[in-house]
Amino acid sequence: MVVSIVIVIVIGVAGLGAGPFVAAGDEDGAGAAAFARHVAPTLRDVCQRCHGPERQRGGLRLDSLAALQAGGDRGPALRPGDPDGSLLLRALRHDDEELAMPPGGAVDAEVVAAFATWIAAGAPWSDLAFAAPTAGRDAEWAFAPIVARRPPAVDAAALPAGFLRDPVDAFVAARLAAAGLAPSPAADARTLIRRATLVATGLPPTPEAVADFVAASAPSPAAADHAYAQLVDRLIASPRHAEHAALDWLDGVRFAETNGFEMNQPRPDAWPYRDWVIGAFHADLPFAEFVRRQLAGDLLDDDPATGFLVAGAWDEVKSPDPELTAMQRDDELHSLVATTGAAFLGLTVGCAKCHDHKFDPIDQRDYFALRACLAGVQFGSRPWRGAAGASEPPGRDPVDPRRNEERFAPVVASRVRFVVVATNGGEPCLDELEVLAAGAPPSDTGGTRVNVALAALGAVAHASSAYPGDPKHQVAHLNDGQHGNGRSAITAEPGGWFEVVLAQPTVVDTVVWGRDRDGVYADRLATDYRIEVLVERQGWRVVATSAGRRPLRPRPAVYAGRFDPAPPPTRRLERGNPLAPREEIAPGGLAAIDVPLALPTDSDEPQRRLALADWIADPRHPLPSRVVVNRLWQFVFGRGLVGTPGDFGAMGERPTHPELLDALAADFQAGGGRRKPLLRRLLLSGTFRQAGAPRGEAAAIDGEGRLLWRFPPRRLAAEAIRDSLLAVAGVLDPRVGGPGVSSFAPNDNYVRVWEGKREFGLEDFRRSIQLLRVRMQPDPTFGVFDQPDQGTPCPRRARSTTALQALALTHAPFVLEVAARFAARLEAEAPGELAAQVVRGFARAFQRVPDRAELAAACAVAEAHGLAAAARALLNASELSWIE
Amino acid sequence: MDRMTRRALLARGGDGLASLAIAALLADEAAARTRRRAGGPRDDRGPIRPALDPAAPLRARSPHFAPKAKRVLVVFCSGALSHLDTFDWKPELERRHGTPLPGGEGLLTFQGENGDLVRSPWAFAPQGGCGKRVSSLLPRLAQRVDRMCFLHGMVAKSNTHGPGENQMSTGFTLEGFPGMGAWVSYALGSECAELPAFVAIPDPRGLPQSMGNHWSAAFLPGVFQGTPFNAQRPIAHLSPPPKLDPAADLAARELTVELDRRRLARFPGDADLAARIASFELAARMQLRAAAVGDLATESAATRAAYGCDDADPVKAGFARNCVLARRLLEAGVRFVQLFNGAYAMGEGVGNWDGHKELVKQYSVHAPILDQPLAALLDDLAARGLLDDTVVLFTTEFGRMPTFQKGASGRDHNHKGFTVWFAGAGVKAPFSHGATDDFGWQAVDGVTTVHDLHATLLHLIGLDHERLSWYHDGIERRLTDVHGKVIEAILA
Repeated sequence: MVVSIVIVIVIGVAGLGAGPFVAAGDEDGAGAAAFARHVAPTLRDVCQRCHGPERQRGGLRLDSLAALQAGGDRGPALRPGDPDGSLLLRALRHDDEELAMPPGGAVDAEVVAAFATWIAAGAPWSDLAFAAPTAGRDAEWAFAPIVARRPPAVDAAALPAGFLRDPVDAFVAARLAAAGLAPSPAADARTLIRRATLVATGLPPTPEAVADFVAASAPSPAAADHAYAQLVDRLIASPRHAEHAALDWLDGVRFAETNGFEMNQPRPDAWPYRDWVIGAFHADLPFAEFVRRQLAGDLLDDDPATGFLVAGAWDEVKSPDPELTAMQRDDELHSLVATTGAAFLGLTVGCAKCHDHKFDPIDQRDYFALRACLAGVQFGSRPWRGAAGASEPPGRDPVDPRRNEERFAPVVASRVRFVVVATNGGEPCLDELEVLAAGAPPSDTGGTRVNVALAALGAVAHASSAYPGDPKHQVAHLNDGQHGNGRSAITAEPGGWFEVVLAQPTVVDTVVWGRDRDGVYADRLATDYRIEVLVERQGWRVVATSAGRRPLRPRPAVYAGRFDPAPPPTRRLERGNPLAPREEIAPGGLAAIDVPLALPTDSDEPQRRLALADWIADPRHPLPSRVVVNRLWQFVFGRGLVGTPGDFGAMGERPTHPELLDALAADFQAGGGRRKPLLRRLLLSGTFRQAGAPRGEAAAIDGEGRLLWRFPPRRLAAEAIRDSLLAVAGVLDPRVGGPGVSSFAPNDNYVRVWEGKREFGLEDFRRSIQLLRVRMQPDPTFGVFDQPDQGTPCPRRARSTTALQALALTHAPFVLEVAARFAARLEAEAPGELAAQVVRGFARAFQRVPDRAELAAACAVAEAHGLAAAARALLNASELSWIE
Repeated sequence: MDRMTRRALLARGGDGLASLAIAALLADEAAARTRRRAGGPRDDRGPIRPALDPAAPLRARSPHFAPKAKRVLVVFCSGALSHLDTFDWKPELERRHGTPLPGGEGLLTFQGENGDLVRSPWAFAPQGGCGKRVSSLLPRLAQRVDRMCFLHGMVAKSNTHGPGENQMSTGFTLEGFPGMGAWVSYALGSECAELPAFVAIPDPRGLPQSMGNHWSAAFLPGVFQGTPFNAQRPIAHLSPPPKLDPAADLAARELTVELDRRRLARFPGDADLAARIASFELAARMQLRAAAVGDLATESAATRAAYGCDDADPVKAGFARNCVLARRLLEAGVRFVQLFNGAYAMGEGVGNWDGHKELVKQYSVHAPILDQPLAALLDDLAARGLLDDTVVLFTTEFGRMPTFQKGASGRDHNHKGFTVWFAGAGVKAPFSHGATDDFGWQAVDGVTTVHDLHATLLHLIGLDHERLSWYHDGIERRLTDVHGKVIEAILA
């Protein structure tokens, strides 16, 4: 596939030939800024539909400076330096009916003004603004095979010292040079350790770690390199890294621990999947295993991993209405197929449910072939084999709700009594009490021992009391030979006893009892009991008790799905309508991928999933590796080389650095699909180690920093902001694993009401990943920081800035509580010395010393209003929640 | 181009001729695709994604064309308000009372089997100047029938509350799509910088079935999410908690902004940082402004009485205050207000319109809570001239069956026919569009999907529902998915 790459390169180069991005008359950069912010987007997104490469209404194209100046049928559209003489501006101003553009209505006045500024400034131009996204052309680049690319030759002398450290840097430098840009100088040591620590772990470094690192870096560049390499290794090896990295994956597969929809009830055993993802990232599970276990962990002795399959919403409101039921099942499978496509393939497979994909080579049959691979997946929990606690301590088995056998030395009994001391809840229930005669079974029973307690043999049942008014529960059911809850006996009080009077004294040695032999009910189960027999002339004798049994506890279960061994046939749905099934579709992969996957319609359920996993993880499959390394790039730099990590199709963005993406994908495959070696390279790269300070001339060309002329600063995500506050205040509880801790007040309404807690204590200060994740209900304090709702996959979070965020940071009880604890910590660290406490606060919050003015301002607030007020101001400052 | 051919070509890749050939083919395909995407010949109908200023994302933006309305009020009756007992008069249902529903043999609806047809327990009488027959369940709203533009042929996709409410507010039955208010504030911003552009007013009894989904921003930027508050509960974290000294609060906020300003000096021109500083300043102004708008004490005694703000029933008084709050927000320039009547957490039909079991008993409780306050709100909006440029949509997630459920005295869910109405700017009134069959079961005339309803609502505020879009996960997402037609017949 050299082909697509060739095309990409050709387009890339063609788009970059326009020379330097300066214009006489634009010394202050206002023209360039107007161009980047308004002019280029308007030309690209509004004007070029009719005046671009596809169409040239009026003979006019507006996609290059030359074309603008050449103009169309009416003459030049643009005269640089002469706004009023430029037809383009007259058209946008709508002051001439005949010229007015665009036809749908005038653009905003602000945009018109930007055009005027730009033209007046000499119309500075960069073709780069038009290079991406470019729909069409190389639309199927992502389907082409990965080709290992050698890094381009670059002139090291023209780059800042120490920039070229990894092949990555050569790709970045070449792309920058083509755009007329250069990288930034290296960041200082304090910025670097803070950045690397926040990026890798989602937590700030301690002031001590920063001081040590700065000191170790000071002597020489070689010492600095050595110290930094050690730091990066330590960060990547830390469990804190995996806890942070797991969030992105959980966003991408819309994992939450509640069902969603109107009931939104919790899934108390969904957390093991979260722990599994953390563990997989920590162990750096090879990609093929990562895929196989999530799709078919039930076959691979890894139950929690298939939590992936049931991570999404599930409507627990069921109905006898067959249409509704069909629609609900359709929604379940559709969401699973769409998520699988986006998470592993970076494709919007879900778009092909109703019709062939409009932009990508995925047809409706492909969609249903994938769906057939997953058709056996049902929502729910299943036993968790190998769970911690699944191995049993010594002792007799715990009581079994279905059937228990009690053996004892043979004894001549006339009556047998089952005395209940305690149950696992409610009045006790037995569905049958059997008493077996000692000795070999009679030959005519086919080996079955005789149950002498049966009413049919003349025995009579009694009980200490009888549960009133329910025909299902009668004392006579105790020995009627019929099993199940519908033929059982319950006493009227919490304890009590059951008894059978045998027809005549008999030598017996076994009692068999159960609560519900049908296995439906497990409540009202006797957990503390004794069995007594009445021996003629000797009285009651205890022959068996519950002593020595291990305590009853629920079998470990995990919300990782159940599997229908014989899923119903998967049928193509006409226009995606579950009420219009058509021909059957066999399990398979996407036909456009050069790796075949085609299974017979009657293939084994689990094998379908395993085959799908192997198909995804096949090294010849070009998409998954590209998707993974792109996500890794996004993890480090805040934005992927492809800005749409869930869509590598025609509607997604093109990679900014297609060759780099392929080089990384090839290295990823060559390295066995492990992520940490690549992460290490990215963190050690010169690109990552650049300063983050803005440079006006570069920002004018590439305002978003997509070409990496600096390290692009960014705000932390919701969870990292919360964790940073807790860490700085010294109250972060780092324990991760096990059931989630809730930010919401307890509530057990049948429709769950998720109301945020109002009081917070130490038990609420666990790491954010350890918080119960509620679907459609963001965290009550930090959710406003663009936390996704887990309704649909979120492969890349938004980063918006709102007044409600400011209100949450200033007034939320959680933040105020943390601020008070931060103040207490500072007082303890520098008792009695306010200025020292404030200095310590800066060190903790920002790992730097305040300048004179900052110190004075913070001390003034602390003196007048208490240290907690100043502490809150530090916690609220943007510097704390920014990666610089 | 045939896929297998293309694949074969891609696989052969390297040789020069094939490269040239495939380059040409791909380019042709891409061009065809671009044309397809733009909708064939209608090339000037591509997506419109408004440019957002990070420092002021809620700044007012131009609509796509001159609008009839500047702002929207949606009144959402949660739980599925029965059209058959309110606005959809069916004489045939009255005549056939007690007989089986024709065509309903063996029908299983949401809760299962159905009994016979049951006429409305409330009498229908001609109302207003137009003489339209509506029921006596909501007597004061009935008297305002001349203001209403009814859509009697509504259909929804799901007959379950969660997905049904999701669809009515977000266009999708699934979880995770933006509410219509979020779409509108994304498109148009706000005329009032100091209040949220989109306010959701939950019922005093609690949240609706789909809870925050109604006002979720989903994949749109968080700034477009609806802000929930009502007369009972202010905006979350709006004011400092009582134990926090206001002077200390102010000093801490000023110190934060001071630190941020000094940081901006180190990062000159950083738009995100400038936006952060602006957000703290806006929060301070919002604290004052939202408190002022929420202070109903300035309302006259006559107004309070008209709405029923001091009614003996605390729920009705609470809903009445929420109605006053809605008017005050619209007056202040809030773009989109969604006012809820009914809450789910109390259970089926207890605090909402979900009348499965005992219709008469349940609706006799809920109707007075809704009737007077909402009637007063319509009057008040009209008296202040706000109805001239505000469109009001009265809606619910779906309707109810013309039968009673087997063994019960209430109606099951029915998504195949129900009624909503518009009032205010841009719509004909009095007017009725569409109809259900003789029994009120299925829409048969002027059938209107939820997508059509949304398309019409967007049209009324100057937005083209086919072009207002946001790119998410490979799709130009729209409120109306890939459906929806503006209901031209009701436009004034």
